[in-house]
Amino acid sequence: MRQQLELMRDEALRVIAQTSGEQALQEVRVRFLGRKGELTGLMKGLGALAPEQRPVVGQLVNTIKDEIEATLEQALTDAREQEKTQRLQTERIDVTLPGRRQPSGTRHPVTLVIEEVCDIFAGLGFSVAEGPEIEHDWYNFEALNFPPEHPARDMQDTFFVDNNLLLRTHTSPVQIRTMLKQKPPVRIIAPGTVYRCDSDATHSPMFHQIEGLMVDTGVTFGDLKGILTVFTNQLFGQKTGVRLRPSFFPFTEPSAEVDIACVICGGKGCRVCKQSGWLEILGAGMVDPEVYRHVNYDAEEISGFAFGMGIERIAMLKYGISDMRLLFENDVRFLRQF
Amino acid sequence: MNVTYNWLKEYVDFDLSPEQLADLLTMLGLEVEAMDRQGGGMDDVVVAVVEEKRQHPNADKLSLCRVNNGSEVFDVVCGAQNFKQGDTVALAQIGATLPGDFKIKRSKIRGEESCGMLCSEKELGLVDESAGIMVLSPALKPGIPVFEALGLKDTLLEIGLTPNRADCLSVAGIAREIAAKLGTSVRYPDTTINEGCSAAADTISVTIQDADLCPRYAARYITGCRIAPSPEWLVKRLNAVGMRSINNVVDVTNLVMMELGHPLHAFDCDRLEGRRVVVRRASEGELFVSLDDQQRILTAHDLVICDAARPVALAGVMGGQNSEIADSTSNILLESAWFRPAAIRRTSKRLGLHTESSHRFERGADIGMVPMALDRAASLIAVLSGGTVAQGTVDEYPGKVERKAIPLRAERAAVLLGIALDPSETVDILKRLECSVSENSDGSFSVVPPSYRIDIEREIDLIEEIARLKGFDAIPATMPLARVMSDRPSQHQRMERLVRDLLVAHGMNEIINFSFTSPDSAEKLLLPEEDIRRTAIKLANPLVFEQSVMKTTLLPGVLETIARNISFRSMDLKLFELRRRYLPTTGEMPHEPLCIAGALTGTRTDGSWSASREMVDFYDVKGIIENLLEQLHIRGVNWVADIPEPYYHPGKSCSIMVGREQIGSFGEIHPTVQENFCIEKPVYGFELDFDKLVILSRLKITITPPSRFPDSTRDIALLAPEELPVDSVLRCVQSVKAQEIEHLETFDLYRGAGIPDGFKSIAIRIRYRSYDRTLTDDEISVIHAKVLSALLKKLNVTTR
Repeated sequence: MRQQLELMRDEALRVIAQTSGEQALQEVRVRFLGRKGELTGLMKGLGALAPEQRPVVGQLVNTIKDEIEATLEQALTDAREQEKTQRLQTERIDVTLPGRRQPSGTRHPVTLVIEEVCDIFAGLGFSVAEGPEIEHDWYNFEALNFPPEHPARDMQDTFFVDNNLLLRTHTSPVQIRTMLKQKPPVRIIAPGTVYRCDSDATHSPMFHQIEGLMVDTGVTFGDLKGILTVFTNQLFGQKTGVRLRPSFFPFTEPSAEVDIACVICGGKGCRVCKQSGWLEILGAGMVDPEVYRHVNYDAEEISGFAFGMGIERIAMLKYGISDMRLLFENDVRFLRQF
Repeated sequence: MNVTYNWLKEYVDFDLSPEQLADLLTMLGLEVEAMDRQGGGMDDVVVAVVEEKRQHPNADKLSLCRVNNGSEVFDVVCGAQNFKQGDTVALAQIGATLPGDFKIKRSKIRGEESCGMLCSEKELGLVDESAGIMVLSPALKPGIPVFEALGLKDTLLEIGLTPNRADCLSVAGIAREIAAKLGTSVRYPDTTINEGCSAAADTISVTIQDADLCPRYAARYITGCRIAPSPEWLVKRLNAVGMRSINNVVDVTNLVMMELGHPLHAFDCDRLEGRRVVVRRASEGELFVSLDDQQRILTAHDLVICDAARPVALAGVMGGQNSEIADSTSNILLESAWFRPAAIRRTSKRLGLHTESSHRFERGADIGMVPMALDRAASLIAVLSGGTVAQGTVDEYPGKVERKAIPLRAERAAVLLGIALDPSETVDILKRLECSVSENSDGSFSVVPPSYRIDIEREIDLIEEIARLKGFDAIPATMPLARVMSDRPSQHQRMERLVRDLLVAHGMNEIINFSFTSPDSAEKLLLPEEDIRRTAIKLANPLVFEQSVMKTTLLPGVLETIARNISFRSMDLKLFELRRRYLPTTGEMPHEPLCIAGALTGTRTDGSWSASREMVDFYDVKGIIENLLEQLHIRGVNWVADIPEPYYHPGKSCSIMVGREQIGSFGEIHPTVQENFCIEKPVYGFELDFDKLVILSRLKITITPPSRFPDSTRDIALLAPEELPVDSVLRCVQSVKAQEIEHLETFDLYRGAGIPDGFKSIAIRIRYRSYDRTLTDDEISVIHAKVLSALLKKLNVTTR
């Protein structure tokens, strides 16, 4: 019997070595170790042995069983590994096919610029304020020191609703509304829609502005330069040159136009900057004492600055848009690029 | 304001190139918007001397010349005969480009080499026709560009003046700015007059009746003038700044206006009845024919210049036909006056009559310039027309006002500008601006600005001048001290961003349409007569009819955008707009609620290989809105089918209600509305009241912790009549109020084989789970049986 067992073991190990594939190895297991397998068959002869031999042979049976089991297990592991390797070598997909997706939409470029500008000023301590678009003459002009009959009103061709109401021509009335509501210190930024009756390639009857206002004790013209320099550097890049030059707005004094070095040519002069190397992007200045008078602030106690910029202008510069009308045609072939 | 570089040089000395001058002016606040170089690009045409002239060996009509440009000698073949050896000529050297893009190259003419060309006036673009070449004065130095030598090289500067700088509407005004910046002074033109013997006052008289509108009126009387075309220098000068020449007298008044900024007017004195000037308000309805042949109906607000009988000019705006300078004019009354800006503005605006004169008066001319402008013009007219200026000026000046001194505190300027200011520097700057400055005992200054600076009235105006002259570049950038914390964005602002981001995540493109629309929009949407959205706010002065009323709903704009994109063959569209609409109120201010509107059409996904080509429908819109409301944590939403909007398909649209509040609606656009907007395929639209969403949005989120016990699901298939809304099935299940029902969904909806006509099969799946134990099969069966019996009892359904 001992001999039979050893013969079977040798046979089993030989068969395992010659067998490949998981399925075939499982069949080998059944043949030798299964319930009706060869080992079980041999174990039936165990009863015929002398009682003192039984534990010895039984021990041998277990040893052989373990040996076959271990060898089989190793062969199976090798076979699985081999199959995995083969599968990984043969399975291939076309990774260049587009992914399965719900295409994402886009925000309007005007929205993108408004959000970006507001975020920059939020970092500089400015809160967002808003006001009505259909506005009182008083807030839009009078309180901002545009007296009736003043030529400065010609700078802003106005849509009127009636004698008192008009479509605001700038976001500056939000300054007035804010100052009437709160005492200094004030630091606000006011994005919004504005209107002027003017329509051609560079003018739209509706466009967007962002207004800024800071009023506190000891605010200087130097501070205005500082804030606007930080802002333009954050919006257009750290090294963007900035210059302020004298200008006129009825509600600020001194007033300034703010130019940045042309973002197209870097200041060398090109078609966009009309060879000047500079692009006008902002109007600004120290709040005029006459404005403080209208909102009951004491011009001797406080000082401050205001600034305003056209969103479309910035969007056009940032994204290289040459015709303003593209912004309001809402052609999805344009919109999908943002 | 247009001015030329050479003209400025007559008024002030400066050593700057045109570019440097433009930069200086721009940085002073006089923005040079454009520069036009006249005679530029012709530097290769130089003054040269003909050293030798001989016959061309192979051509009778040509000559061979040796021409010296001062440093080199060239052989040039020339066809003209009107010059001789030794003459000074204009040589276009090789490389020069003449008008008409004519490039000068080395060439051989009948076998003889020619290195350049001797130019005629026509070839240089100076005249339309000329015979022979241009023979120049022998005094000109060879080698220098001809245009420079002839003084034809000039640069036109177009200056964009801000409305406060009326004082710069002249050559002298701009020269004053240059002088102030450079610390030099202005040369004013000669105004010496050789007056005749008779006194002007003996012949003419001036009466100001309305001195509030005309504080000063001065006149001179010039006799024996001969009206003729102006000399060339005058024509050229006016042309250079874009003005047309008329005759020697009118041209002088225009020239002086350009030089000194003061508008003048010349009357034919013989046509003035009584040789009188009366300044008064017009009477209501008074008629007047202005120089441009237009009959004007005047009002009592208009200021007119009259003779003894009738109006002869609209003060400061335009002269009258009845007294204009004609070829036959001999005796002239020359006016130099000052009119109240508001009055001129009112008249010019009302009549739509904007002239160079009204432009200056309405911005504020210089009352101190009245005599100088008058004398300058009178002296020029006398010279150019051979007339005699009568003795003396008739100068009525009833409105004489002394300018008050403005107090200036140097420390206030320092505080506002953020720089230290040296008092002597302050005084120096103000003096360069021709202000008179005196120091007070407390260290402050009293400043009287010159009469032409009507814009300087207050201390802040002086501070601005100091900053301007010092240069904004000289003020260092600083950061303000932060004494204030900024508020975080309001709930409204944060929700705006959230909604945008969410809709973008759903594949929608944000659009921005104009806030105004056509009054027809309401009609196109089939809104009934009584609908409040028909009451739109109208613009009093719209640009076009299509943009004449403020929007009461965003949908028309959205649908127009859909139609426009389809016309560009973009067929699959998902658009939204987050903007205000404008509603009239009974109060003073209109209401401007923020609104979300959008529309979908075409396929649900893109045309990718993996996507199905299914078309969007009602449920795509509803899904977006459901997600939106869920993100905003708005609960208790009801989808109500029976409050239809006229612009939706009545069977495929719905109102969104929260409690009794309607927050919006959506659905398939009504086929008629589709046609009205020229859209040929189904479109699904929606509109939500953003402000209501903000109010209903629950900011506080309370969660229930997930159960740790296993779940069990059971399905129910029901046969229901077609008209039974699925929602009522779900509500019925919920009405059982079993807390073990964790989740409920409709997982299938089926019509067709096996289902009778007029019926549908609704399959719902219920997931049961308890928070505190594992539910046994028996427990679940009991609850499930309750659910089933509720359905069968309350609804007209059977199980399948």
